[in-house]
Amino acid sequence: MKGLGYLEETILLLILSMRGDVYGYVISKAYEEHMGKKISISAIHSAMSRLEKKGLIKSHMGGATAERGGRRKRIFQVTELGRSTIEEIRASRQKLWGLIPDLE
Amino acid sequence: MNNKQHTPPAWADQFLAWFCDEGLLEEIQGDLHEAYYDRLTSHSKAKADQLFVLDVFRFCKPYAFEKYSTLKQYLPMFQNYLKIGLRNILHRKGFTAINLIGLSVGISAVMLILLYWNSENTYDTYFPDHDRIHRLMNNYREQTYTCMRFTDYYQTSREDQLRLTNRLKAYEEVQAVCHFVPSVSAIGGRDKYFIQIGEQEVLGENFLYLNSGMDFQEVFPLTFLKGSPEQAFTSFQTISITDRLAKRWFGESWKDQNLINQDVTIQDEVFRLAGIVEALPGNVHFDFDIIIHQQEIPSWAAYTYFKLADGYTAEQVIDRIAQEVDNIFPGYTEDVLSKGIISIPLTKIHFSSGNLYEIKVPANKAYLDTFAVVGLIILLIIWTNYTNLSVSMYAERQRELGMRKVVGALARDISMQILIEAILLALCCLPICYLLIYLSIPYYNEMMGIQLGQEIISSGPYLGLLVLLLAISGLISGIYPSITYGRKSLPSLLWAKTTINRHFRLVSFRNFLLTTQFVMMVGLLSVTWFIYQQMGYVAKQDLGYEVEGVVYFEINGAEKYKQLSTYLRQIPEVQETGANGVPGSEMFNQLTYKMEGTDRVFSDGTFMVLDYGSLKTLNIKCETCTSLDEGKRKLFIINRTAAHKLASVLEVEPEQLIGKQLITEPEWENEEHGMGVPHRIDGIIDDYKYFSLKYPHQPLLINVAAEAGWAYQMMVRLQTDDWQKTLEKVKEKYEKVETVIPFDPLFLEERIRNLYTNERRSGSLMGIMSALAILLSFMGLVGIVSHMAFNRQKEISIRKVLGASIQHILLTLNREFILLMLIATIISLPVALFFASKWLESFAFKIALSPTVVFLVGIVALGLVVSLVSFLARETVNKDPAEVLRA
Repeated sequence: MKGLGYLEETILLLILSMRGDVYGYVISKAYEEHMGKKISISAIHSAMSRLEKKGLIKSHMGGATAERGGRRKRIFQVTELGRSTIEEIRASRQKLWGLIPDLE
Repeated sequence: MNNKQHTPPAWADQFLAWFCDEGLLEEIQGDLHEAYYDRLTSHSKAKADQLFVLDVFRFCKPYAFEKYSTLKQYLPMFQNYLKIGLRNILHRKGFTAINLIGLSVGISAVMLILLYWNSENTYDTYFPDHDRIHRLMNNYREQTYTCMRFTDYYQTSREDQLRLTNRLKAYEEVQAVCHFVPSVSAIGGRDKYFIQIGEQEVLGENFLYLNSGMDFQEVFPLTFLKGSPEQAFTSFQTISITDRLAKRWFGESWKDQNLINQDVTIQDEVFRLAGIVEALPGNVHFDFDIIIHQQEIPSWAAYTYFKLADGYTAEQVIDRIAQEVDNIFPGYTEDVLSKGIISIPLTKIHFSSGNLYEIKVPANKAYLDTFAVVGLIILLIIWTNYTNLSVSMYAERQRELGMRKVVGALARDISMQILIEAILLALCCLPICYLLIYLSIPYYNEMMGIQLGQEIISSGPYLGLLVLLLAISGLISGIYPSITYGRKSLPSLLWAKTTINRHFRLVSFRNFLLTTQFVMMVGLLSVTWFIYQQMGYVAKQDLGYEVEGVVYFEINGAEKYKQLSTYLRQIPEVQETGANGVPGSEMFNQLTYKMEGTDRVFSDGTFMVLDYGSLKTLNIKCETCTSLDEGKRKLFIINRTAAHKLASVLEVEPEQLIGKQLITEPEWENEEHGMGVPHRIDGIIDDYKYFSLKYPHQPLLINVAAEAGWAYQMMVRLQTDDWQKTLEKVKEKYEKVETVIPFDPLFLEERIRNLYTNERRSGSLMGIMSALAILLSFMGLVGIVSHMAFNRQKEISIRKVLGASIQHILLTLNREFILLMLIATIISLPVALFFASKWLESFAFKIALSPTVVFLVGIVALGLVVSLVSFLARETVNKDPAEVLRA
């Protein structure tokens, strides 16, 4: 399995958490909302193209909307591989958390 | 969405579309636009715009550049080419240096020739509408006068001086018409005056006399830096000077001084300084420093120009003049000597020849063409040379190219690599060329008598041309190896040893180039040799008089001449003085003559009036003239050329002409003598070369007076070791007699040398260019020979082991070059003879062209080549065979 960067992991989680059409701009808004940090659209785009190359997400062109001047959106979905990868990460993290004795 | 009327900055949008990959553009642009409209609800438009632009620039990264992915693959490749190219350059430092220096020097020379060529060919194009300006000329006797005479010569009133131009102004074919006289012209008196401006007194020369300034301004518009054409030309007694002169007179700060309307005194006449104009560039057929605008032009004629109105031709104007010529010049059609008024386009004046009283000495088109050919030859030598060197360089790099093929380079890639490398290498010469040209322009100007500005090479077209020439040189040098090595099969690249020079092949690309180079080298050198031979011939030619020790200067009238003569005879260094008849003159007006009682009229007579002192000063032998010492007052003598002509009409011996009557201007009806003027021939003198050796002997008809009746030139023969001191003494006496015209002595030797300025210039240019050709060819040889010697060191060693002597080995190495040089000499023989005879055409007295010279040049060149080859090969030849063979 290919390694996953911090931003890539966050985006993957964000996509999974979101309802409706998921595309570049809404992810950047969601990122800002949930993480409390600003991010440029280009950073989101390049991270998503990396995720797609790794096969963790897939995309198709959606319908045109008025606010985009008739331009279509690229709608993203997490693939099975993406879901299992994030699951794996979570499991391994959980395991590590369990090893920490005096956290409580 | 109520902000829909706002849109993101269009330029940023377009920029995004430009760099962004097409497949990604839609989603990216969509996202950015959505973000923009979102922001408009919370931010100001300016802020939203700013953020949008920022976003666009953030996309400027390889992720979005997918479009150029093909380029991305090549980039490291180019880097590799550059790196390998650089390594090769450093690996062969000496070789590359020779290469680049040769190329730089050669291209600079070619550029300099081009600059000269262009400056000559754009003569007189400085003026607007120069293609519509023509000059009137008058055919009179057998000659064409470049100026139009005034009806009463020197005594013409202002009105009559303007008669011709005023008539022409009335024509609808003519838009503007003007006339002028530059003082430096033959009809301008070559005036020099002391000029009083305020407190300072300066020497003024190079005047332009005008009497209708506004007309002049219409045909030849001058740029007024101070004052205006109206100030300068709507009233008389004004002078205008050039900025060049203003700088000399008033210093660099002339612009800030209040100069206009100052009084200027010339010869007790007061003028008003009315303007400072931009000096004319060097390539205009007339020049001036001071314009004098007054009622009358102080001459007997003026150079007259007209500017055609749109849609008319010069012929139409000429036809119209011909119809009413008698109104302008009374009695013109009846005068058998007047043979019609013609015109010449302004831009043709510089290359015209044989016209009388031309302002500046016209250029010889043939010389200019020769220079162009020489430039092309140099260019060819550079190219052949450079190609030769690059061929031998790539021969050594075959393995590298082979390795590239192994790792997957296609033929095309190899070819591209070689070409790009060659072009880049050639372009490295740009700064050297620039510097070389920049620094040599002042010397070049002096040598060629032109006025180019150093900044010219920085101008767009010339700099562009320089870059282009270099790039082309690189391209040409790269083409042959590029095609050959690109195509070569992998095994032949990797395993074949450098094949060049291994076997002697007479017909090969390289040998063809070498021979071409040798031909050009021998050809140029031979032509230069012929030119210098002719110049030597001209210098050593017996002119029929003694040149050394004679100075001459202007003198105003016989009275002053006589007075000065008596004064000068008190100076011991003065041997002889004479009036008029200074030889080394340009051709002047000729007249008609015949023997009394015959009908055969000759029209090529040169009539001269001088005193006996003039002949004595020049040491011209004249037996009959001794009678002048014995009290005779006047003699009429003719030279042998005239005598032969006249004797052949009468069918007698020339000596039998003595005592007979000769009539000059037999067509001229006058009260005193009826038709023409009779002269009793008193004697015949040997031909002497009064004119340049470019012309054959002219029939001279000479009036010799015991005492000068009129004088305009004075000659003095001096015998001295301290010229400066002696001339000071002469000047002192001169100033006793003449207070207006400054003393300006010139050496006769100088004057005669100046007759051949154009020829000498062509000689020195040819000399430099052939030296350059030799240098370039030898630079090429150095590369080739050291390469060849290195490649053949095993062969040489084996020969040595088998007992060959050093001489024998050197002969083997030289054999090829000797053969090529022989072939080259034979080819260049007719070529050199052809060009040399073309050059000699302008001389009436000239050397015979001997083919021996070409062979001699060939032998000298061969000697140089052989010694160069032997010198370069010495190291290889002296190497220990054991060492070479074991390696």
